[in-house]
Parts: sequence; C-alpha cells; structure tokens
Amino acid sequence: MNKVIGALTLCFGLFCQSLLAAVEEYHVQLKDHLFFPSQITIPANQKVKLIIYNQDNTPEEFDSFSLNRDKVIFANNKATIFIGPLQPGEYDFFGEYNPNTARGSVIVEHQKQKAADAN
Amino acid sequence: MKTIFRISIALLYCLFSISISRADGIQVDKVYHPYVLANERELEWRFTSRQNDDGNVLAQRFAYGHAVSEYVTIEGYIVGERDDIGDFGLQAYELEVRWMLTDQGELWADWGMLFELEKQHKEDIYEFTSGLLFEKEFTQTSLTINALLVYEWGQNIQDEFETEFRLKYRYRYLPALQPSIEIYTGEDFIGIGPGFMGVHRYQGQKQLKWELAFIAGLNGDSKDHTLRFALEYEF
Repeated sequence: MNKVIGALTLCFGLFCQSLLAAVEEYHVQLKDHLFFPSQITIPANQKVKLIIYNQDNTPEEFDSFSLNRDKVIFANNKATIFIGPLQPGEYDFFGEYNPNTARGSVIVEHQKQKAADAN
Repeated sequence: MKTIFRISIALLYCLFSISISRADGIQVDKVYHPYVLANERELEWRFTSRQNDDGNVLAQRFAYGHAVSEYVTIEGYIVGERDDIGDFGLQAYELEVRWMLTDQGELWADWGMLFELEKQHKEDIYEFTSGLLFEKEFTQTSLTINALLVYEWGQNIQDEFETEFRLKYRYRYLPALQPSIEIYTGEDFIGIGPGFMGVHRYQGQKQLKWELAFIAGLNGDSKDHTLRFALEYEF
C-alpha cells in the first residue's frame, strides 16, 4: 500500500513539475482575416505555446485537423493554443469563419545545432 | 496553480468512485471528450439498440446544447425508450453539464468533468452521474477515457451508487473517417467493439459529426450486441 501511495505521489509530483515547466511562446497576429506570420517554424518533439492576437472586430476560430486543435479567438482578444510535441513536417491551420484568407501552417523542424556546438 | 488544484480534486474524486459498485442499464453510450468550444450550439440525436437474450432494448435521445463559456457547456435531453410491451415513448429528461478543466495540450493529458441529472418520466426515479473525462494524444491517435460515478434514488428504485467506465482509442485518419476501438464496462457488462466517427464541415462554425459503433458484450450471454449511432449538428 505504501508503495502505491509513494508511486502515486511521485507521479503527481512529476505531473505538477510538468505544469510549471517553461514552454516556448510564439506570437501570431490575426488582422484583416489574415495570420501574420502565416508560417510558424517550431522545433520537433517539443511542446510550444501559440498566442494568437485577434485584431479584427469579429471572432475567428482556429482550426486544424492535423494539429488536432479547435479554438475560438474572440474579437480584439487573444487566445493561447498549446501544440506539440510533434514530428517534423508541415501542419496546416485555418480560420473557420474566413477559410479562404485566414490560412497558415506550422513547420516542425529538428533544431539546428547551435553555433557553439559547431565550434 | 488553479489548474493543479482542479486536477487534484478530479483525481481524488476518481479514486473515490473506483471503490463503488458498477452500473446497470444500457452502458453503451457516448464516450465524452473533455473539450468545450466557445460559442458552440448543437442539436444531437443518439440511437442505441441492444439485442440480447432478453430481447431488444431501443433508446433514442434528442438534445440541444449550448456553450455558456469557454470552459462550460450545458445540454438538455429528452430520452425515448421502447417499453416491455413494445411501445416506444417518452422515458426520461436529462440535464448535462460538461466542464473543460484544462486547455487542450496544456498538460500531459487533457481533463474535464461531466455532471448529468436524469428524471424518469412518470416515475419517482432520479439519477445523478458525475465523472472524470480524460484524453491523451499519441501522434495521430487519441485515447479517451470516461470514469463515471452514478447515484440512483427515488421511491421506485433502490438507492445506490454505481460506476461506469468507457474507453475509446481513435485513429485520426481523415476528418470524415476516424476509426476506433471502444470498451464499456458496468454491472455484469463488459463490451468491446469497433467504432467510427467523422466530421463534415459547412460554412463557418457549422458542422455535422457522426458516430457509429458496434459493441459485443463479453459478459456471458450467448447473444449481446449493441449498435449505437449519433448525429450532432453544431452551429
């Protein structure tokens, strides 16, 4: 029984630690029903946070089947969308209310070695 | 920290509910995802047909749902069932609240809670269901688990706690076709079978979702099959 409680405590501790771990942020603007930038490059196998600022006077819905995300961004407001960890590749997204203009993609790449490593 | 507190409460609740006996009735129903989409309204129709040694039990549910915030949605149901003499009629009313505890992808897995209050038509039978909704992505697949605690009470029923467990492991192959394996457990019932779901998008937030599953009971009856079908129009 003590082992079970210990294991549960450990799992919960790791879980809490994962909550507090820093997640890299990427900022995207939505203006005139267009995403800026429309291509976002992120590292592979890492969770990141997309913060989307909707500067239009109408709501938009971020939608992506390949990213498995669906989120409403209210007018003149911002929304946070967590994505990843993902395998390298290109993942499309679009705005459901303006699917012809509000389009973009997330490019997932392996991180290039830092210059320090090269030296 | 607020998220940690919410999840702690939900996990403690789940541990408590595991120790209670399991549920009877029709256990094959929807496997709930823990997500709520702001501004979402929906009309829903569910159809369940269970064929076993005792005959056929047919149930249909008609519902209207509305997201009241980014994290909470409320849905009202009218339930119809075929009775012992073969007549199909109004059976129950139900109110359901779904609460998204964490943003999708925020934590290692996504968490939500479900609360349902059901009243049998013309009978003094009430049922309150509450439970934990869990979903975890593994690349292109998603594992969804519902651990539910049910309390039944009233003049026409024995007061008791029960539990139900539902599981769906889904492959997100295409928006219109997502095959899955579903597992259901309740009192004297364990069922497993293939399922399918899909989404067809219209303009804006409008979309039609469908679900179909065929669950075979493994609880010992020589024949025990359940077909479930659901249509949801979101707008």
